[in-house]
Amino acid sequence: MYNKKVLFSLVIIVGLLLSSCASATTQPAAPVVPAATEAPSAAAPSAPTTAPAENVTITVWDYYGEATPIKPLIEPFQAAHPNIKINYEAYDWDTTQQKLDVVLTGGTPPDVTTVDMTWIPKYASLGAFADLNALSGGSLNGVAWKDAYTAGALKAITFNDQIIAALYDFDTYGLYYRSDLFEQKGIKVPTTWDELMAAAKALHEGDKYYYEFDADTFHGSQWIYENGGTLLSPDNKTVVFNSPEAVGAITFNDSLLKEGVAINWTTDQGERIQGVKDGRIAMFSDGPYYMGIMKSAAPEMAGQWKVAMHPTSKQNGSYLGGTGLVIPVGSTQKEAAWEFIQYAMQVENQIGVYTNAGAAPALKAALSSPEVNVADPYFGGEQAFSIFLKTMETATPFPYVRTWTDIDNAFTNAMQQIALGDLTVQEALDQAAQTAQEALNQ
Amino acid sequence: MTAIPLPLPRRVTRSVKKYAIPYLFIAVPVISLIVFLLIPMVASLWWSLNDYSGLQPPKFVGLNNYIQLFTNDKIFGKGLVNTTVFVLLGMSIGPTLGLLTALMLNQKVRFRSFYRTAYYLPVMTSLVVVSTIWLMLYNRNGLINTVLQTFGVAKVGWLSSPHVALISIVIASVWQGFGFETVVFLAALQSIPRELYEAAMIDGAGGGAQFRYITLPSLRPVIVFVYIIGIIGSYQVFDQIYVMSSGGPVYSTTTIVYYLFTKFMDLRLGYASAIAYVLFAILVVFSYIQMRISRERA
Amino acid sequence: MSVQPKTFRNSSKRIILYVVLVGSSILMMIPFYWSVVTSLKLEKFVFTSPPQWIPNPLVWVNYIHVLTKMPFARYFANSVFVALAVTLAHVFFDTLAAYAFAKLKFPGRDQIFFVMLLALMVPFQVNLIPLYKIMAAFHWTNTYLALIIPNLTSIFGIFLMRQFLMTIPNELLDAARIDGCSEFGVFRKVVLPLALPGIATLIIFTFMGTWNDFLWPRIVINSEKLFTLPVGLALLQMKNTSNEAQIMAGTVLTALPMIIVFLFMQRQFIEGMTAGALKG
Repeated sequence: MYNKKVLFSLVIIVGLLLSSCASATTQPAAPVVPAATEAPSAAAPSAPTTAPAENVTITVWDYYGEATPIKPLIEPFQAAHPNIKINYEAYDWDTTQQKLDVVLTGGTPPDVTTVDMTWIPKYASLGAFADLNALSGGSLNGVAWKDAYTAGALKAITFNDQIIAALYDFDTYGLYYRSDLFEQKGIKVPTTWDELMAAAKALHEGDKYYYEFDADTFHGSQWIYENGGTLLSPDNKTVVFNSPEAVGAITFNDSLLKEGVAINWTTDQGERIQGVKDGRIAMFSDGPYYMGIMKSAAPEMAGQWKVAMHPTSKQNGSYLGGTGLVIPVGSTQKEAAWEFIQYAMQVENQIGVYTNAGAAPALKAALSSPEVNVADPYFGGEQAFSIFLKTMETATPFPYVRTWTDIDNAFTNAMQQIALGDLTVQEALDQAAQTAQEALNQ
Repeated sequence: MTAIPLPLPRRVTRSVKKYAIPYLFIAVPVISLIVFLLIPMVASLWWSLNDYSGLQPPKFVGLNNYIQLFTNDKIFGKGLVNTTVFVLLGMSIGPTLGLLTALMLNQKVRFRSFYRTAYYLPVMTSLVVVSTIWLMLYNRNGLINTVLQTFGVAKVGWLSSPHVALISIVIASVWQGFGFETVVFLAALQSIPRELYEAAMIDGAGGGAQFRYITLPSLRPVIVFVYIIGIIGSYQVFDQIYVMSSGGPVYSTTTIVYYLFTKFMDLRLGYASAIAYVLFAILVVFSYIQMRISRERA
Repeated sequence: MSVQPKTFRNSSKRIILYVVLVGSSILMMIPFYWSVVTSLKLEKFVFTSPPQWIPNPLVWVNYIHVLTKMPFARYFANSVFVALAVTLAHVFFDTLAAYAFAKLKFPGRDQIFFVMLLALMVPFQVNLIPLYKIMAAFHWTNTYLALIIPNLTSIFGIFLMRQFLMTIPNELLDAARIDGCSEFGVFRKVVLPLALPGIATLIIFTFMGTWNDFLWPRIVINSEKLFTLPVGLALLQMKNTSNEAQIMAGTVLTALPMIIVFLFMQRQFIEGMTAGALKG
């Protein structure tokens, strides 16, 4: 009896599963390729239409985490736009990128999302994001795009004559240094590489007070720019990071390491903030967002650090990145999504990037606002942002080519080989340039 | 049709009736296999023959992705070597430790549940958690280096030296994984009827003979399972690399699936799929050989 | 007692056995001990030389930080629900199918099993996007269904149970059949009791695998209400800012429920089951 009952219910279960899966087996075409092609790309050039009148819901993805400047905007935005409801979802940085990859290729993308500008080469070359220039009718909150941003920032958000992102916070590299130690030892803040070498030598003691650098493209490219070189030729057709300027630049970086006054921050050193706190690091190069990190993670060091332009050999230079707000082409609510981006880009809301996240707002008007340009007691009572604003004038985004990841990997690998002493600077960069050139030619 | 039933359908009907029970027993797994595994596999197999980003229409390129992998991709070659080293080291240490610990736990010993807990706990913990813990242990100023320092050993760049990093990953993985083999072997050891040992002892067989003639043959199906699953699993090593080393330094810990993942993240779905099918081919060959060997022995 | 092979009767060998058992157990526990200790330290004492084996002062700030920053109870409940549902399904479907593959004869048996094994050999990362598309076609994304339905059975589980069931002598099954048992009756009355150690193993691995699953839930789940514990914790570990002590507090909180389940299982299941098996 019992057995039969169990068997019977099993049959029912299987039957149910079979019937619910029957619709599945009629679907095999869906996951297979042809269906995918009708996804986002087909809907690409969407013409601007009228503002949404009926009620709509837009999904917003945000990777800022705890100190997000975006979440506080939702309530007031919904109050100001009663017909638009926001479905707000927060993820960490890694998850955001992975989810974006999946939903852009096979699902429903969000209507607005934060993107790291280093993701742009991949997405932009595949036409993943809507042209904001067309949606906006040429202006952001009534200001023409070219007047809203600096030239470097405008270059960073432009691809194939389209504006593919609204730069929300920006990232350029300046020199963070232990002003207390500089003062104690009577060292002048370096402006040239020679002075940097002298300062690093004067600072360093035993296992402490190093110039910290990462063997990656962010830091490597800065040396190259400062020595008058570039990563790719202006037409993005030739890899030139093994030019004499580039080799000279990386050789200088390497000489800091060889002199024993610099430290290569490999993964087994832990987070950099650890070294900042325990005194291993006395100088490093990074972006404005790191000011926020230092304030929240190392509050006890207030007054010991300052920010300056990174020392140069021939000219100033830095990578330019940050966070962009984008609308995926697959969004069905582009008008409402644009409304939200425009709201987030209003000057007073842009200031929130600084007051909430401690990062640097990207809009020119916000950068020059008094709220942002306050004397910062943490950084010796100076206006640290003015340094990064000045850096932005000469900063340049990574080239927007489809195979950027391969080029980035090749260069990073060369930087690691040099730091390990496996290859000479020339050998490592030559080999990497060859690999990168092959990728670029694809 | 109804008047003269064709022999074939009738045979099918009859055999369906006859075999209804076994087919019913495997119905849910088979449906699940088709919908959630085979259909995705067919899709990715097709992608591997295309230049496909997921955003643009796929462009059929034949075997180009595969040719590219083998003729022009040094990182893939390095990944193949790294993964093979990882599998060889892991699969020679892990199951051996697992069998030894299972044999020890199968004795009458005091505090058995304490030892068992010690061996099992890492297996109970996710690879992401385990990797996070080891990342801290391998820190330049972490526990391992500070303990070594007290013995006068210089700091080791566990994850920053290209010569050491892969070994460090193997150590963490074996620590995490061998308890799996302990669990499986112990369960199998305890399923061996004790009458067999009693009979052997009456026949005067010593410990060694009992092990060779009773324990080992009884464990054979489980040993086959452990090696097949182990090799398939370790060839797909990913989480440890993702958390601890990101494939570096200088590609010394780039494994096949980690490399595949970076290509997937770069939206090169065709190329990533091709890597997956090369791995697939390797695993099919391995498993075939293993099953042949185990069948010949049996 | 008579089970005990003669080898270890010798007392010096027993001492070696105990030294190895105790020594290796302690070595195995150190990483766990260290992560717990670290989570109870102030950040500045995490990397000290010589290492601080006992936290001084012992503080709970790291746990307070983690617990106040996320709805732990909600994530925990989601994880438990999904892991229980999946584990129950596995015990039933995997064992049943394994029995068919191990002990019943039917056309296509070995071929179907072979195809199942083949499917194990494609890394999940590659199936991620197609599987996501299937979920989207069913409108299951961002629901519990997406976490449970694709995981009702596993090839790993079927393979594991098949290998266990293969060791059951056919004579026992035939005897039950002669006694008039149906196939399901044979399964329930003969196979299940003998397979208990294997089932305990299956339960542990399935529960653990589901509990710790990370890649799939973070892709297929969007709303915070449905997050499982590992996914929720990843949100906390923001790049650059988190310190090691806080990370370890989060790590301990993720691992702890699994460890408690295991300790519970160890007493309630494994001991009982192995006792039964030895008698059988």
